[in-house]
Amino acid sequence: MLSTIKNNINSCSLSPSGRIKTISHGLAYCLLFIISIEVMAAQSNKILNINFHAYYGDVLLKLDDSVYKTENETAIQIETFKCYISGIELLNKEQVVFRENNSFHLLDVSELKSLSIPVTTPSTIQYDKIKFNIGIDSLTNVSGAYGGDLDPTKGMYWTWQNGYINFKLEGKSMICPTKNNEFQFHIGGYQFPDRTMQQVILNILMEGSLAIRIDLKKIIDSIDLTKQNQVMSPGKDAVILSEKALKIFSSY
Amino acid sequence: MKKVFILLLISTFIILAFKSGNEYTFAIPINWPKPTYDFAKNPLSIDKIQLGRALFYDPQLSSDNTTSCSSCHSQFTAFTHVDHALSHGIKDRIGKRNSLALMNLAWHQSFMWDGAINHLDMQSLAPISNPDEMDEKIEHVVTKLQKSKIYPLLFQKAFGDSTITGEHLLKSISQFMLTLVSSNSKYDSVMRKESVFTAQENQGYKLFKTNCAECHTEPLFTNLKFENNGLTLDTTLNDTGRMKITHNKKDSLRFKVPSLRNIEFSYPYMHDGRFKKLSEVVTHYTSGVQKSNTLSKKLEKNLVLSSNERVDLIAFLLTLTDRTFLFNKDYSFPRTIFFTEKKE
Repeated sequence: MLSTIKNNINSCSLSPSGRIKTISHGLAYCLLFIISIEVMAAQSNKILNINFHAYYGDVLLKLDDSVYKTENETAIQIETFKCYISGIELLNKEQVVFRENNSFHLLDVSELKSLSIPVTTPSTIQYDKIKFNIGIDSLTNVSGAYGGDLDPTKGMYWTWQNGYINFKLEGKSMICPTKNNEFQFHIGGYQFPDRTMQQVILNILMEGSLAIRIDLKKIIDSIDLTKQNQVMSPGKDAVILSEKALKIFSSY
Repeated sequence: MKKVFILLLISTFIILAFKSGNEYTFAIPINWPKPTYDFAKNPLSIDKIQLGRALFYDPQLSSDNTTSCSSCHSQFTAFTHVDHALSHGIKDRIGKRNSLALMNLAWHQSFMWDGAINHLDMQSLAPISNPDEMDEKIEHVVTKLQKSKIYPLLFQKAFGDSTITGEHLLKSISQFMLTLVSSNSKYDSVMRKESVFTAQENQGYKLFKTNCAECHTEPLFTNLKFENNGLTLDTTLNDTGRMKITHNKKDSLRFKVPSLRNIEFSYPYMHDGRFKKLSEVVTHYTSGVQKSNTLSKKLEKNLVLSSNERVDLIAFLLTLTDRTFLFNKDYSFPRTIFFTEKKE
């Protein structure tokens, strides 16, 4: 194809009408060339699925009436678990080799599909680590309305004081001295010193497998539900909980 | 080849004609600063503004379909809630604050008396979900509107998609609110040298510039900051203002400086609506300011005004009334949109 373009360029010394014709042919070939490159580029991409698996200890988490036990053998039920994953990057030997554009994903255990995030990467990519944030960055928090997973109809946005809820965990336990024994943790806050977005970096243990485990037992066991059962605004408590939330993610 | 060019030319014209028919140019008044709203992220169009206007006047945005944005923000009072110190929402539930007037919002970076809202697009969510106001959920509003006869069409027209989303809903309400620009008061025409102040108004303007303009800065008549203007704490409300948002003691009793434009019609005054008359406001600054750690530095000394000067100052404040804003038909209840629905 390159030679055809060359031929066209070489034959440019023609009459004015002929020249226009040749240039237009040349342009058409260029266009074809660009399109073919894009097609080739598209072919050399692949879709990687990042799969999140939510567990409670050793058992897969279910949001039905399943009863789990805490470290102290207290019965507990989980009703809601949602969190934002953003800024997905793949690293190889500490170098960023892939960065997803517009990388905002809502994980919601009640919607299985949301737990698998497809990302389009170059097919030849090699990586040994994955990096992402739990939560939404400050800039996005102050930049108005967005659609998709960031749409405020997703129930992950505070209305009385603006900001995304980065992490939402709700459930019941007899030891909560609250109405209906409920506990509610809505973790958010994007302004210093109450920032709650946390960065996770995980080693990829198996080539070609991007499976990430979330263990909610870890965060439940780190909270004294008799004393702390409602955190629903930005502040120190939310920051501490966001640090605890960071530890429930692992690769396997 | 020529044909291709002609076709291209024609299609360009069609696109341009289509665009120019629907696009809305936001005019910045002469000598005003640049707006802070990022129009590139939400480009104005007539269809989106009209959709936003319909939503602004639609009580379906409340849980019992009785209360719309306009219930507490009526046009003839510069889009605030007249007669109520504390605004009320559905079922006559009384809120905690006096509703703010809506105008010149493209120049604001934070909203509400305490700046709890960081972007105009997100502002509407607060009253929609506040139990004392519209007590509704945005998810449910979207479901209700999707079932209505007119809204899927209006969203299709505005966004090219009849599926209603929270993003589109909020952005269109923003668009309508952005068009609420008040820049045609007597004061403005004097500034544009199209008219002149009376001697009394002129005297009042001088007093204003010396004593008030540091916070109520021209041309918006607010410096957009948070200040403690020395109001005594109402212990039935215990409203500490900005501190609730920042958790910083320095922000205790600080509230957003409201614009004084259309002040003649936007009574009652202050975050809790404690003053009904402008004369009471002036009296507050001459003899009512309560000293505290966070008091605005500009108010450490009481304002000293003779009785004539008080009248002059108020005469000036009345020049901020903008009748072309208060009675602009483009801002009023969109009869045509709602009446078409009933005919169908």
